Amino acid sequence: MTNERGPFSAPGLGVAMRIGMELVVATTVGGGVGLVGDRYLGTQPWLMLVGIVLGVAAGFRNIQRYIQQMQDRD
Amino acid sequence: MESPVHHFELHRLIPIELFGFDLSINQAVLMMWLVVVAVALFFILGSRQRLLVPSKFQGIVEYAVIFLRQTVLDTIGQRGLVFLPFLTTLFFFILFCNLFGLVPGSYTVTSQVMVTGVFALLVYLLSFAVGFWYHGIGFLKVFAPPGVPALLMPAMVLIEVFSQTVRPITLAVRLFANMTAGHMVMSVFFGLMIMGGIWIGWLPFAVTVPLYLLELLVAFIQAYVFVVLTCVYLSEAIHLH
Repeated sequence: MTNERGPFSAPGLGVAMRIGMELVVATTVGGGVGLVGDRYLGTQPWLMLVGIVLGVAAGFRNIQRYIQQMQDRD
Repeated sequence: MESPVHHFELHRLIPIELFGFDLSINQAVLMMWLVVVAVALFFILGSRQRLLVPSKFQGIVEYAVIFLRQTVLDTIGQRGLVFLPFLTTLFFFILFCNLFGLVPGSYTVTSQVMVTGVFALLVYLLSFAVGFWYHGIGFLKVFAPPGVPALLMPAMVLIEVFSQTVRPITLAVRLFANMTAGHMVMSVFFGLMIMGGIWIGWLPFAVTVPLYLLELLVAFIQAYVFVVLTCVYLSEAIHLH
């Protein structure tokens, strides 16, 4: 990446802040939505398990998208 | 010792009740008004003289705008310049909220998940509106990544819809969690300093000084990250892989 932005350029830190949060939040939201759904429908662990798997997949998909963008820009 | 979450509590300063909603003026609202005035003053004073050879203050304002412009050009491209005023507003509002929160005795507006959540939702709805504006109904292709076998398509669409839904939440939680956590750690160390008294209190105090500088950095980084991610979402809506 050509660096013409001077001393304020912090793309590396920005990327680091993004990727960590992405996985955690996606998994938590997936599990949480599943848990709430379970409580209403009475299908105890199943919706939560599906939600967690979906959340992990979504988190990885978002990370993959970021990395693709970084490669495209180079 | 005071609870470390004590200074995140909101107190009603002027109670207002309208149509059954609680619209009271609390510290957060007051701080937001202050921030709005401060940002407005920053730009009005910075662009008042318009010298060809900028003064120091005008230089700061110009450099900040040029820096954001370069960020927009890098992530979205020429078409993104339409959004530059919006992104500049967003950046400076969040930055000033973060910085004002560091003044002792004030309130950090961005430590309320409600505030960051509304920002994130606004950004996300905007990116969807922009996507439909540029591509019409074809924007729905964003939920169906190219090059996926037909057999896997339903699962991929499900994952894609979910990953799109999660993104505004991560945007909101990132800003809110960073601000809340930093202030909580600082208040714990300040509390320890008071408890420690004169003999041992200098030790936690020595920690708070670099911590405060770190928080200053985090205030800038988080405002920048929020705007860069907004650029990324807008860029995806405009270019549609």
